[in-house]
Amino acid sequence: MNTDNGKLGRSSAGFAMAASIAVLFSTALAWAKDAYKPLNSFMNALAWHNWITHGLANVVLFVGLGLIFSRTNWAERIAPNRMITFLAVAVAVAGLGLFAWYAVF
Amino acid sequence: MNITSSDVILLAHSTFGVLGILSALWVFVETLNAREENAGRIRKIALLAALCMSVTWIVGGYWYVHFYPGDRALILKGPWPWAHTLFMETKEHLFFITLILSFYLPIAARDKLYANAAARKMVLCVAMLIVLSGLAIEGSGAIINHGAKVALLQNGQGAAR
Repeated sequence: MNTDNGKLGRSSAGFAMAASIAVLFSTALAWAKDAYKPLNSFMNALAWHNWITHGLANVVLFVGLGLIFSRTNWAERIAPNRMITFLAVAVAVAGLGLFAWYAVF
Repeated sequence: MNITSSDVILLAHSTFGVLGILSALWVFVETLNAREENAGRIRKIALLAALCMSVTWIVGGYWYVHFYPGDRALILKGPWPWAHTLFMETKEHLFFITLILSFYLPIAARDKLYANAAARKMVLCVAMLIVLSGLAIEGSGAIINHGAKVALLQNGQGAAR
């Protein structure tokens, strides 16, 4: 196995940043719709059920941001280790944030 | 034996979820031994993980919207209401994190993993996050299932169901 350090490809870096933002957005949206019922009702009306709207919004955000970041070299310039850490921390914060929210409220 | 469409859809959703987790684990192991020879296989299995999670999303979403409201009412009246208020609420939103990671996995696996340590590290990290979050979701599913079961037992409907 080659052990050179290398760097992430433009798509890999761009979509890693998009995934990090999308998971944090997803948890923030879960909090918001739970705390503010009119938003929940609006999301129910938008795509039949708030969970469907939520999922579609996450995917659209991930794909949209991923395509944007992949066309710029902004995400690619971030050090790979920093990007990997950011993604892992974003997932941990988003996941534990969900559990903590529903445990407390 | 009375197997309803609800049962089939519910079991299909958890089965595809497990297949998605196993695919991510497969990617993790192959990436630990990344060589030029298994690069194509890693990409295919990463894509399989994304496909399995997509099917889980669609099938699980259909069941959640069409069949879960009855179970939710039952669980909330039973001795384990937190099986819904804590575990189902967390599970249904935690799944989106696993889904996004599984969509990202084939993209990360497109880099030359055998020649690029950073790309390899990213794929290992994403695959492991899919496995861990997927296992947490599967565990939550078991708790929710038991929440419904103890509610039925409390109401004396266990034998009838």
